Amino acid sequence: MLKEFTKGLFKENPIFIIVLGLCPALGVSTKVINALGMGAGVIFVLLCSNILVSLLKDFIPDKVRIPSYIVIIASFVTIVEMVMQAYSPALYKNLGVFVPLIVVNCVILGRAEAFANKNTVLPSIMDGLGMGLGFTIGLVLIAVVREILGAGTITIFPIGSFDGVIPIPGLVNSPVRVIGLAAGALLVMGYLKAFFNWYLDRK
Amino acid sequence: MKNILVIGFKLTIICAAAALCLGMVNAVTAPRIAELKKIALADALTVINRTGTPGDEVVIKDDSVVKGYYPVKLDTGDMKGYILTLRGDGYAGDLKILANYEKTGKLIACVLMDNQETPGLGKEAEKIEYMEKYRGFGDDSAIPVKKSQLSAEDADAIGGATITFVGIGKALDYGSNYVKKLGE
Repeated sequence: MLKEFTKGLFKENPIFIIVLGLCPALGVSTKVINALGMGAGVIFVLLCSNILVSLLKDFIPDKVRIPSYIVIIASFVTIVEMVMQAYSPALYKNLGVFVPLIVVNCVILGRAEAFANKNTVLPSIMDGLGMGLGFTIGLVLIAVVREILGAGTITIFPIGSFDGVIPIPGLVNSPVRVIGLAAGALLVMGYLKAFFNWYLDRK
Repeated sequence: MKNILVIGFKLTIICAAAALCLGMVNAVTAPRIAELKKIALADALTVINRTGTPGDEVVIKDDSVVKGYYPVKLDTGDMKGYILTLRGDGYAGDLKILANYEKTGKLIACVLMDNQETPGLGKEAEKIEYMEKYRGFGDDSAIPVKKSQLSAEDADAIGGATITFVGIGKALDYGSNYVKKLGE
């Protein structure tokens, strides 16, 4: 059972190994706080959709399984969107169009189709959690590198008088702007994928 | 035939259950979202209007860009201008813009409200300094709607978000002409 959880973290990491869900990974990884927010949203949707798909796998007719999965996933994404808009408006504003786009995140539909509809609830929960956390780890890794180099800051959640922005001395006044742009996202993603490949080959 | 009906029935049950759940979540979150939008609107009105007093909003239903306006009067009672609620075409959907004009059509200040632009690109337009590019235009000189109408520094700042810049510019330009027609 633990294997189902840990495989998503490194061995089958959705971003660096399976290479799924790259659109939001590259789009929202400009700030660490955005990556954490998007990661939390994806974990919630992945977990809930995996549970529901595994519970309903005998009820959902095979011919309409993909539309059914999309309805389930879209419903959870809409719930995330409404809750985020009501209780974390700043994060909702920052993530913009990428929140509704979780619906078409290939990781979520991929796990429903490849895992949850062939397994029982408990392994599906472990798979959803592992894949969701693996996606979040990948997203946060890209965001940390991009924000430090591209903006010279690390932005996390504001607490009290602390505004959540940690400036990096030396970089905050002269950041490498290209890393914050789309081309920089691809560069960082490529180098991190190379690192993951090297690390897994060594093992 | 029976098989198709069973499939359709099961799909209907799934959709109905999903709709019910969404309805319940909406019932909880909608009042709070509406309240937050009201606060955001009040804040934006304060940011873009420092000298006059906005009156009640006049809602416009038959215009694709101007969705409403607030007449702004000075303390002396003289007409100062108008704050317009504009709809622009963004990269990923509509842009809601609040813009304050003098009665000559000159843009005093504007702010981007609801939008679905890309974080790091079009979303940069939410920053006050981004909107400075349009400020002061609209009476004698046209509001910029192309990158070529900007200084090299301002054009660089737009980066890869040309569609957002053009969408805002065109809406503001339309708003400026609308205010000129409204006049006093």
